[in-house]
Amino acid sequence: MNLFLQGGKVATEDAAPHRADVWIVDGTIQSVAVMDAPAGARVIDCTDQVIMPGMFDAHVHFREPGQEHKETIYDGAESAINGGITGVVMMPNTAPSIDSPAMVQRVLELGKKCRIPVHTSACITVDRAGHEMAPIAGLKEAGILMLTDDGDAVPNAALLRRAMEYGREFGMFFASHCEDPQLCGPRALNEGPVSYRLGIQGTPALAEEICMDRDIRLAHATGARLHIQHVSSAIGMETIRWWRDERGAQVSGEVSPHHLMFADEDIGDYDTHYKMNPPLRTREDNAALLQGLKDGVFRIIATDHAPHTEFEKSQAFVEAPNGISGLDTALVSLHDRFIAKGEFGWDLLVKRYSAEPRRMMELEVAEVAEGKPADLLVFDPKKETTFTKDFMKSKSSNTPFLDKTLKGSVEMVVLGKEILLER
Amino acid sequence: MARKDFLDIVSLERSEIIQLLDQAEPFKDLFTRSVKKVPALKGKTVLMLFYEASTRTLSSFEVAAKRLSADVTIFDVPHSSVTKGESVRDTIDTLQAMRADYIVVRHRLSGQPAAIARQTNASVINAGDGAHAHPTQALLDAFTLREVYPEMEGRKVLIMGDVLHSRVARSTSTILTKLGVEVAFCGPGSLVPQTRFRRFTNYDEALRWGPDAVYLLRVQKERQEASFYPSDREYHAVFGITEERLKRLSDEGVYVMHPGPVNRGVELCDGVLDYERCLISQQVENGIAARMSVLYGLKPQLS
Repeated sequence: MNLFLQGGKVATEDAAPHRADVWIVDGTIQSVAVMDAPAGARVIDCTDQVIMPGMFDAHVHFREPGQEHKETIYDGAESAINGGITGVVMMPNTAPSIDSPAMVQRVLELGKKCRIPVHTSACITVDRAGHEMAPIAGLKEAGILMLTDDGDAVPNAALLRRAMEYGREFGMFFASHCEDPQLCGPRALNEGPVSYRLGIQGTPALAEEICMDRDIRLAHATGARLHIQHVSSAIGMETIRWWRDERGAQVSGEVSPHHLMFADEDIGDYDTHYKMNPPLRTREDNAALLQGLKDGVFRIIATDHAPHTEFEKSQAFVEAPNGISGLDTALVSLHDRFIAKGEFGWDLLVKRYSAEPRRMMELEVAEVAEGKPADLLVFDPKKETTFTKDFMKSKSSNTPFLDKTLKGSVEMVVLGKEILLER
Repeated sequence: MARKDFLDIVSLERSEIIQLLDQAEPFKDLFTRSVKKVPALKGKTVLMLFYEASTRTLSSFEVAAKRLSADVTIFDVPHSSVTKGESVRDTIDTLQAMRADYIVVRHRLSGQPAAIARQTNASVINAGDGAHAHPTQALLDAFTLREVYPEMEGRKVLIMGDVLHSRVARSTSTILTKLGVEVAFCGPGSLVPQTRFRRFTNYDEALRWGPDAVYLLRVQKERQEASFYPSDREYHAVFGITEERLKRLSDEGVYVMHPGPVNRGVELCDGVLDYERCLISQQVENGIAARMSVLYGLKPQLS
């Protein structure tokens, strides 16, 4: 392999993209500088394109084992590559749940057949049922990066506290899906004028706020490191800010592209593509979350990639499953909605969707820099992408972007010695 | 009116509502004749698909369809393949093959009739879905109120009770608003959400607002069980039409409406049913005329 990416701009996490050519030989970046094409190199014209490190998504549902009709680990990873993402962390709410060392080994084995690194988290409680602690030391030994009962909060505060106290010894990193199990109701959409109009019991933002406060307090008291997943509300975001800034709590936050872009009013006449959990809230929440991202309250962006089949999503709104397929569309949609409009720059994107998630997971950060292994993508901001079913590599296409055309295109993905994608 | 379906009130224009109301009048006149039928829907099939038990609404639709000379089939949901776990989508494919012209749907899930409407060429009429909409009830309510107040503009209607879970409250408040009636809600704080309507949680304050009619909602047993209010007894004392309150309504000439079936001793006392301005029986009778008007006005898209 001898590849020369010519004429592009290189994006980093702390500065605006700068003009540089990138020369890669056998999976290692030889140089990042303006130079003439080396003899024998395959030259790729990257004029007006952005070269950046591969993205990393710390929150994906790959459905295997148990729900392979929605997604498999392999297809999920291909969907990631299609979107410029070169590493993921799976959530443990498979069937059966990833709550034992044997299950961890099984999914990691499947992950090794993929073209990108596939990592996994595991449950805090056995079968995510909230009754007994999962074998934390064994899970760590088997290679998990994080503990979470994602999909639900741990309903029992005493059990979560004990798990945090116990898990500290093993340096465990906890992540919380924050929703008070009683207040949240049937979990179909946000409580407000839209839930009233549609006649469906809503989930109040209060359910998230209260649980978030509880979990951060527990982590702060026990000294556990805690990450709050998919924050959906303005006060939720402010809760993290307050605990971090005013009390020095070791807490990080995550925001998903859909919570930045969509609100409950987009549901319109029961469009299940906008049904996810935590639910889409209001335009005011969108704005507050975006501000939280700019202010660094959110350490990472993650999609909560949650594939479901067309049939499942065609059921009545209450019965259709929660979730949005996100990996194919994340980067292009973030470009279309925010970068192209000047809301934030490439540096924020690289920091929050590539560098920080890897740091958070204690993995090596991908960088487009001399001597580093190749882990990068080429993005064309001027080209457009139409998200047809054929285009998307996920097994499911449950996204509001289905058949929509957005500004930007992932043109090439390179990882190590392989060109994973070349459009 | 060239609509295929009748799913909610929100999407109707005021002119369409008035047309439906006007059209119901000659149908109502039929009821006092010896032959109560017209041949308007002769040769058409109306299929009743009630996923939720309802004798009253089902009978009302059945009578309405028969008075239009339609053939009526009642799809027996409790004894059907639905109990074997068949999805609604697959049931509708089956019914589509039977070429019904009209499907009247009641379902416990909000939005289900709309989903069915998208799937079939038959005209779909929403006979109540979850807490979302009950548009034919709204139409008959408006029709009934118009009989006592031909000029509806500026009249005031107080909707009392479990607004939070009520599809009737949603549809009836919407139709009345579109017809220029002022609507307010009243009930326990736990059952009356914040909406664009005036909201009372105190009965006396609500009456001081000066309603021309009080519309009582049925209070469902399970709400008490879920602790939305402490007991039926306390509900009746604080938010029910007691004998004492009935006297005040009578003094002020206020009409009483209710979608039925009533809970005596909860939202109302026995005396309300004998009250001279109680419109409950008219509502039932008008329900048939209103539903005839809806069936008559729709245009199925069958080839």
